[in-house]
Amino acid sequence: MDYVIQQTVNALSLGGIYAMLALGLAIVFSIVRLINFAHGEIMTVGGYGVFAATVFGLPIPLAVASGVFAAVFAAVAMERVAFRAMRGASVVSLLITSFAISEILKVLFQNGISARPKPIQLPAALSGSYEVGAITVGVIPTISIVTTLLALLGLTLFLRRTETGMAMRAAAEDFEMLRLLGVRADRVVAAAFALSGLLAGIAAVMWTAQRGSVDPLMGFFPVLKAFIATVLGGLGSLSGAILGGFFVGAVEVFSQAFLPDSLSPYRDAIVLSTVIAVLLVRPDGLVPAVKVDRS
Amino acid sequence: MRPVLTSLALMAGTAFTPLATPAAAQDTYKIGVMSAQSGYLTPYDQPSYAGFKYCIDKMNAAGGLAGQYQVELDVRDTRSDMAETVKVAQEMVDNGAQFIVSSADADPTIAAGQITQPEGIPTMTFAGTAPVLTQVGDYIFGSYPADNQQATVLADFATEQGFEKVYIVKSPDSAYTMGGPEYFATVFQANGGEVVGESLYSLNQPDFSAIVTNIKATEPAPDLIVTWAWEPDFPAFIKALRGAGLTTQVMGGDVLDTPTVRGLGDVVDGTYHTSGGFPEEGSAYGDWVKEYTEATGAEPDNNYYVNGCDIAHMIEDAVEAAGSTDPAAVRDALAAIEDGEGIMSNFTFAGTDRMPLRPVVIAKINADGSKDFVMRGTADPEKLPAP
Repeated sequence: MDYVIQQTVNALSLGGIYAMLALGLAIVFSIVRLINFAHGEIMTVGGYGVFAATVFGLPIPLAVASGVFAAVFAAVAMERVAFRAMRGASVVSLLITSFAISEILKVLFQNGISARPKPIQLPAALSGSYEVGAITVGVIPTISIVTTLLALLGLTLFLRRTETGMAMRAAAEDFEMLRLLGVRADRVVAAAFALSGLLAGIAAVMWTAQRGSVDPLMGFFPVLKAFIATVLGGLGSLSGAILGGFFVGAVEVFSQAFLPDSLSPYRDAIVLSTVIAVLLVRPDGLVPAVKVDRS
Repeated sequence: MRPVLTSLALMAGTAFTPLATPAAAQDTYKIGVMSAQSGYLTPYDQPSYAGFKYCIDKMNAAGGLAGQYQVELDVRDTRSDMAETVKVAQEMVDNGAQFIVSSADADPTIAAGQITQPEGIPTMTFAGTAPVLTQVGDYIFGSYPADNQQATVLADFATEQGFEKVYIVKSPDSAYTMGGPEYFATVFQANGGEVVGESLYSLNQPDFSAIVTNIKATEPAPDLIVTWAWEPDFPAFIKALRGAGLTTQVMGGDVLDTPTVRGLGDVVDGTYHTSGGFPEEGSAYGDWVKEYTEATGAEPDNNYYVNGCDIAHMIEDAVEAAGSTDPAAVRDALAAIEDGEGIMSNFTFAGTDRMPLRPVVIAKINADGSKDFVMRGTADPEKLPAP
């Protein structure tokens, strides 16, 4: 039983990070119909933000702020430089643009910073753990789970209670109508990118704290999983993205924990098969989006 | 000592070049070099190539290999991509390469070998250590101490230190991450130790907490964990392990010998790893590090630099012994080298299956980012597990 609880904590910790990344993807997709493949690089920029702060010996809160700020800046800059010019372009053009940005940024990281991973040293206290009954919980996974929940709660309040939040939800449902009502499109889109950058930044801080290093490909793999999560949850559906994130995290951890080792090489295949099985039963995802252009 | 020899050679080269016949002075030896400039091999290929080029340039300036062959390099980027690797190998062969230095891992070397072995072009990997790589054929060579040598020395060390129960963490995604721990287990068990559990992971696995929980639940509890995981997997694993409150001793392969791993702080304190060499003060390697730093302004902070230079020496020794640049003659001469003089360490190909027998170092990482020399040993050929 302790073993199951322990693995559940692991699943929540990993699923939370996927959920934040998936939510960032879903926010942008729901408004501009862009599947942003460069989202992983926004996360990587966040990781380098943390790294830069630790190199300069800044205290932890500033390092966290530096990582989050770097990711938000990268997301907003990306929108301003690349995606604003492509507003109204087809889904495919946007997709290819995002691929291009992703590749360019990866090469810039490799040649401008280092092809090697850069170590991120955090205070020993953060690497510690504590006991709850018979189970041991790490400090960082705990912070990770709590932060994820707070971030998701904060985002829900923002989307439901603030004017910009409401405008964003309205844009997700009918962008043209929103513009006709006189809401400035640029501001809503920029806010969507900033939010997705914020979530990617928080995810980057959690990720680097748990993994201890940042490299040019850091964001690629978790964001790949987050894509699966958004599709599973229902493309464009915000609550679906969160649910999908936790689902993928849980399948990944539990398949490692409970499958016999001989099946381990098939773990990714098993995760993806589960996703296909779910989509066969619910083709629009776990929580279908209100309105979606399916290509 | 190498620097003295080199400067003598330099003087000799300068003095005698005018006397050499013009035809001989113009002989060139074409070496194709694969060096990934992007992707997962970059951290190993870039320093290997830097060290290799530095020493080849020095040899050329001193009159060339065997005093008459000027080396001409044909360097190409593989982007760490296997299809590109095969394409590049074919292009180099078509361009008349007489020797090929392939990327720093077994898998691309095996891929390149599919082209170079049938063509009869000697091929040496920058730093691939999985001993299976030379099984492609008799033209394929390793340069770094093989995984089974490293694992044998490490397993003997672990037994000596009194460890008895090991937990293995390995990945079937590469010959290196799979083979190293398995060779270790074979020797460790032969020494009387016990493997109490093992876990498989995928390269770039997002999360190691499930594996750590498995380790924690293992009965009897292991007193040692061995993995050949590299970056970023090793940092993620060790963070998860220490984060879960486990203080079990960890030992790993030569891939842990990097500033990134040493920079992780408390979590890596006391970790042992194998290595191809150690730049002790006053040693040939220590002197080379100073010389290279002064010449280029960049400090070689891992063994791939010096191993790249040692590859240049291996080729030079082979060409000298062969007395020609004919690929078949160079291959035969290379395979017959016994106790050749290297900077990182000496090398013997004679009697091996072309993975050189070289001493293995064991080092210990400290929390402050430094590493201590622990021991240097050569694998006992009797114990060496078969690839």
